[in-house]
Amino acid sequence: MSEKTLAAGAARTDERAGEAWSWGPVLTNLALPIAVVLLALFFYTQAPVFLTLNNWISISVQVATLMTIAVPFAILLMAGKVDLGVGSLLGFSGVVAGLLFPHLGVTLTIVVTLLVGVGFGLLNGVLVGWFAMSPIIVTLGTLTLLRGLGQWLSPHPLFGFPESFSYLGYGRVAGLPILTWIMLGVLVTGILVMRYTALGRHTVAIGVNERAAYLVGIRVKLTVILLYVMVGLGAALAGLMSIARINSAPSGTLGVGMELGVLTAVLLGGIPFTGGKGSLLRVALGVWLLGMLSNGLILMNMPTEASLMITGIVLVLAAGLDVLRRRRG
Amino acid sequence: MSDVVAKIDNLRKSYGTVEVLRGIDLAFRGGEIHAFLGANGAGKSTFLGCLSGAVTPSAGTITIRGTPHSALTPRQARDAGIGIIYQHFQVIGDLTVADNVFLGNEIRRWGVVDSRAQNARTKELFARLDLEIDPTRPLSSLSVGERQIVEIARALRLKPDLLILDEPTAALSEHEMKALHRVVRQLARAEGLAVVYVTHLIDEIEQIADKVTVLRDGQVVWTRPVNEADHVALAQAIAPNMTDRSDRTAPPRRDDAVLELRDYRSGYTGPVDLTLHRGEILGLYGLLGSGRTDLLESLIGARGRASGSFRLAGRDIAPRSPRAARDRGLALVASDRNEQSLFAELSALDNLLMPHFGGLAGSSARQRQLFAESAQRLQLRPARADLNGGRFSGGNAQKLMMGRWLFPGIGIEVLLLDEPTQGVDIGAREELYTLLRDFVATGGAVLVASSDPDEIVAIADRVLVLNQGSPVALLEDGITEERLVHLSHKTVHRSTAHAAERHLATE
Repeated sequence: MSEKTLAAGAARTDERAGEAWSWGPVLTNLALPIAVVLLALFFYTQAPVFLTLNNWISISVQVATLMTIAVPFAILLMAGKVDLGVGSLLGFSGVVAGLLFPHLGVTLTIVVTLLVGVGFGLLNGVLVGWFAMSPIIVTLGTLTLLRGLGQWLSPHPLFGFPESFSYLGYGRVAGLPILTWIMLGVLVTGILVMRYTALGRHTVAIGVNERAAYLVGIRVKLTVILLYVMVGLGAALAGLMSIARINSAPSGTLGVGMELGVLTAVLLGGIPFTGGKGSLLRVALGVWLLGMLSNGLILMNMPTEASLMITGIVLVLAAGLDVLRRRRG
Repeated sequence: MSDVVAKIDNLRKSYGTVEVLRGIDLAFRGGEIHAFLGANGAGKSTFLGCLSGAVTPSAGTITIRGTPHSALTPRQARDAGIGIIYQHFQVIGDLTVADNVFLGNEIRRWGVVDSRAQNARTKELFARLDLEIDPTRPLSSLSVGERQIVEIARALRLKPDLLILDEPTAALSEHEMKALHRVVRQLARAEGLAVVYVTHLIDEIEQIADKVTVLRDGQVVWTRPVNEADHVALAQAIAPNMTDRSDRTAPPRRDDAVLELRDYRSGYTGPVDLTLHRGEILGLYGLLGSGRTDLLESLIGARGRASGSFRLAGRDIAPRSPRAARDRGLALVASDRNEQSLFAELSALDNLLMPHFGGLAGSSARQRQLFAESAQRLQLRPARADLNGGRFSGGNAQKLMMGRWLFPGIGIEVLLLDEPTQGVDIGAREELYTLLRDFVATGGAVLVASSDPDEIVAIADRVLVLNQGSPVALLEDGITEERLVHLSHKTVHRSTAHAAERHLATE
């Protein structure tokens, strides 16, 4: 072997070693955690109160509804499907609960409201899973339909919920707000489902290769329906949480634009729009980042318009991150 | 008539250590229709790929009109005068005929597409072919045969000297086939084009070709004028080694029937009468469009069944989904691994155990144990549970796909396989066959569909030959490549042409 080829060989080995240690994958994998840390530090320098336990607890209350929807939504997206109607369903559920409280009492109202969520989840699921309709079109339909339905049922905001219900919105258990506990419960349930159940494996399999999943004997239609039902349930639960927290149910604004917040969080969490992979912990981090962003901007006395614009920019950055990750395979 | 348009010298192509083309020497002359034959894996598509620029040859030269090339890009091939028409149509249904003909090379006027000029030019092109198709019709309203003509018109617009047609009649009815032949003859005789005509149908060669070349194992067996190449000579050239099966000990076929089809029809295939016994590997041989896949998918409920009876282990069944079929003891390893069975971005463990989550594969410790045992039995290389499915070689990925159904005690009675060794190298192929033989030795039964005569001869105890949706023969013994090739290449009278079209449309 001549010296030249030896050198070339060495160079190639170096290249490979360099690849193993290259910063690219590290950056794309750690970009989200690093962004969270940097953002926290930045807000801390602007408003020291940002980094206090009480502020973080209040962030957790602010993101509780977003998280409650984002978890089942993320699982649905892993199967390659999407539900754009979550915000409207959240609002509709709130209105339904507000209307039912005087008649049914707290417990029964909660049960019926959750069933309404399940029902609309089922509707979406059957249309998408069974009849193979386009998820985007179907759920754009439910988005519009439910918003209209809510405003028709109750043109004016509803107030005056029973005290035992409002307690859910401000009460604490073991030092943490009840809303925070619910959010954590949903997150942990989601993680356990994805990690330990057949449903979790089947969901990802459908996202990776739906045809192969079908031929291998997975009940694809049933699974998709179940995922939509979970999202419906999550949206209804989030609706109850929202009206408990703000103590009113304004049919015109409750949950408006929520689908965009959820999409932002889920894409930030690294789930590609085509599905097939993703981690709920990262999604939770994405939700948290959005929560920190709005909390910090309020602490800095930024106007709402500015925080909207910044959220938009974050979404585009998240999509860019997704492209980077895919390029690396 | 005899000027050489294209000359190929010592053309070679290797993928890694596998030599696919092993020195091809050929000449294509103007005005001549040159038929091209060979079994699957003979190297036909690689050879065509070299001519069209899709594949870069490892060695050799392609000389076109006196200019030698060592490699071509698709654009260079086009500019050098090579036009190719692929088996799968590259046309777009929503556009008009003229739009399709000019796709990617539109006539523009003031920056916008000049539809009037395109329509006129398209009409001229069709006139050259002695045909009348309205250029403004949407392509989706055309028959399969007419679409084929549109493809040809598109190739002609670039004024090729050499026109390659890759199995152009595979999807055509008898009538459409005749029309296409007329067009091809017209081009060769009147316009002096050199035509390379790839086909599976031996009958067709006599009707259209001047010369025949048979390719086998990456080499030219011979090139002859068509009148010196009769059926027997062709079949023998395609598959000469009548593999000696006598050294194979006949498996102890038990008499208990496990799968019985009586007058079974799917939408396209049938009627099939078939009895499969425990301990038996039954081959299902046929070319593309013969109904192999259609039949298998219909059996597991992924496609409909039209009529007939289907008994499995003594019970009448009618599975309506792969899931239902599996619960009754029937599973399919589908063809086209990447599209239909592999989860490329999931781990080997997930790939292997996907049908069993929630059942056999409970805890993660159990999953790892099952994987380890399976990897050993399947001789999976590398035996790594965490490696993504897409990272395995074709053979090892296929072991994972088959391994899904080979766990003991999961109640699979009959395993259906469709082209099980597509893209699998020879060594791994043998290992896969061994897995199948082990499976039937323990009381299972296998129905394996293949378009590779080699494969059928190697593993099948009996063979059902399918040809354009109809069973044409059930071979009990004397299974040779020659017989298989002969039976499947015969042109069946195409009364089912419309059914065939529907079949293709659903694919």
